Amino acid sequence: MDVKEVLEIAMLSGEILLTNGSETYRVEDTVERICDAYDIESECFVIPTGIFLSGCSKNNGKESISLVKRIKGRTINLHKIEMINTFSRNLKNKKVSYDDAMKFLESLDSTPTFSYYEKLIAAGITSFAFAMLFGSSAINGVVAALISILIYFAEDKITVFNLLPFFSEFVWSLVTGILAILINKYILPIDIDTVIIGSIIVLFPGIAITNGIRDALYGDTLSSQVRLTEALYTVTAIGIGVGISLLLMKYWM
Amino acid sequence: MKGVILAFLGSFCPALLFNIEKNKLIWAGICGAAGWTAYESIYSISGNKIYAAFIASAVISLISEIMAKLLKTPATVFNVPSLFPIVPGVSAYNTILHIIENNLAAAAYKGIETLGIAGAIAFGIIFVSTIFRYINTRKRRETNEN
Repeated sequence: MDVKEVLEIAMLSGEILLTNGSETYRVEDTVERICDAYDIESECFVIPTGIFLSGCSKNNGKESISLVKRIKGRTINLHKIEMINTFSRNLKNKKVSYDDAMKFLESLDSTPTFSYYEKLIAAGITSFAFAMLFGSSAINGVVAALISILIYFAEDKITVFNLLPFFSEFVWSLVTGILAILINKYILPIDIDTVIIGSIIVLFPGIAITNGIRDALYGDTLSSQVRLTEALYTVTAIGIGVGISLLLMKYWM
Repeated sequence: MKGVILAFLGSFCPALLFNIEKNKLIWAGICGAAGWTAYESIYSISGNKIYAAFIASAVISLISEIMAKLLKTPATVFNVPSLFPIVPGVSAYNTILHIIENNLAAAAYKGIETLGIAGAIAFGIIFVSTIFRYINTRKRRETNEN
């Protein structure tokens, strides 16, 4: 296999890792491990918004190639991280051809672990559990679950707000707050505080925060700053959304 | 007991939202329940939320690092969902509530509490991960020397 093909496999693996919520050191480790398995000397530099990779063959040092990849969107899918982790570790013992490796990496997209409805229900139960955990009654929990299922569904279907970063979190937390206030006023009296906290927890950027801390621990301070700042902006956006809905309640109801 | 079951659900379901492999979901749930138990017991003894959050986060990181070794998966898989129950959601919400009521003294009080809990969780993770990293690098160095 020539240098370019190996680097393409490594770059695609790195891209999948980074876009699905992996730590920076894991991306660098995996990319270098894949290159190493095919006897290619590589140097890899990863930040949350891009991957820079260059490599040359260990046997024939003339051919040197560099690839740069800009990472834009980021989601969370820890299953893919696990799959690529095992894939790269197995490469050392058993080498895979270029076509097989590419086929495997592309097949990852079409293997959902949970159906959409299971996720909707999980979002509901999450909010139910948190509303109850913060000390409110079962009725409030059910209301929180209904709001959070609605928000999770809407967040998935209405993608207009994703055009601007952090705007969708703002909009959905605002909608959550308004829904809770409307239910409290017109349908049945609920404990607005716990219902809003319970419903909002689904939007919370848990991965960004833990990865930010772990990146700092592994010496990737630049990535750590990027992730923690991102988490801070997300939390602020949620806070402003909830705050505006509470302001509306204070002055108009 | 009710809290433990709710904390189990509250880690199990976020884990499902993050697309963890099916047979590992239950471990994420158990990890979260253990973390919540630690948080509740320390909080009832000391009455200090920040201290309780530090211990709980350390317990969660310890369990998830051990499970990551046993099941050969990244520790993040267990770490992130289990931390959800001890996230300072209530304190953060109250901060905003006080800001809107223009009660800035209370907002500052709650805001510092939020920051303290968040920092305690971060240091809990750092505390345990550093120890595990030290063990890992020691082991790697020994295998390289042999």
